[in-house]
Amino acid sequence: MTIPVQLWSYFRDLAGTSRLDVELAAGATIAQLLDAVYLRHPELAGLRKSTLIAVGVDYQRPDYVLRAGDEVSLFPPVQGG
Amino acid sequence: MTRSLSLTTDPINEPALVASRAMGAGMGAAITFSGVVRGSEAGEPIAAIDYEAFVPMAERQFNLLFDQLAERWPTLESVRLVHRLGVVRVNEASLWVEIISPHRGEAFAACQWLIEEMKRVVPIWKRPLASA
Repeated sequence: MTIPVQLWSYFRDLAGTSRLDVELAAGATIAQLLDAVYLRHPELAGLRKSTLIAVGVDYQRPDYVLRAGDEVSLFPPVQGG
Repeated sequence: MTRSLSLTTDPINEPALVASRAMGAGMGAAITFSGVVRGSEAGEPIAAIDYEAFVPMAERQFNLLFDQLAERWPTLESVRLVHRLGVVRVNEASLWVEIISPHRGEAFAACQWLIEEMKRVVPIWKRPLASA
């Protein structure tokens, strides 16, 4: 399955792109998606601990099992206000 | 609890917001908070902050916070929140919050909680823009 990944804020600047598609086997988790993203964008790997993860408009944990049609967003700590 | 949320690139018109306030006869506290862009960031002078949001998720997370607000402080009558997006210059408001409740205690507590939680979960980011 192909999972689209959106990058926000300075993650987008570091990676030089706002979006990438990641090919994963059925049953893959967000943690496996992150591994695939970091292979292509190692500049983001050092930020893994502080990375916030959403599927659609809800936060999810790394053990979330992805499904076809999911859209993942990765972003740094938020700073509203 | 009624709720109003606006994520907007327009300047926050506080007099107009206050003029449009609706408040029941049993309510005794209307508190507002304005978050204003400071002239420095990390010790460096700035001219403005450029706010970016993942808007659909920001709306979702704000509404989840409003749900929690109503559970934690069931006497609140209303919350209104406006957050600027895009470039907000120094001394301009980037955030405006109003809470209406029967008494001041829960209004202040709810406002403080809402802003702290917003800074933890609502996907909005800022990029300081240097002074010319």
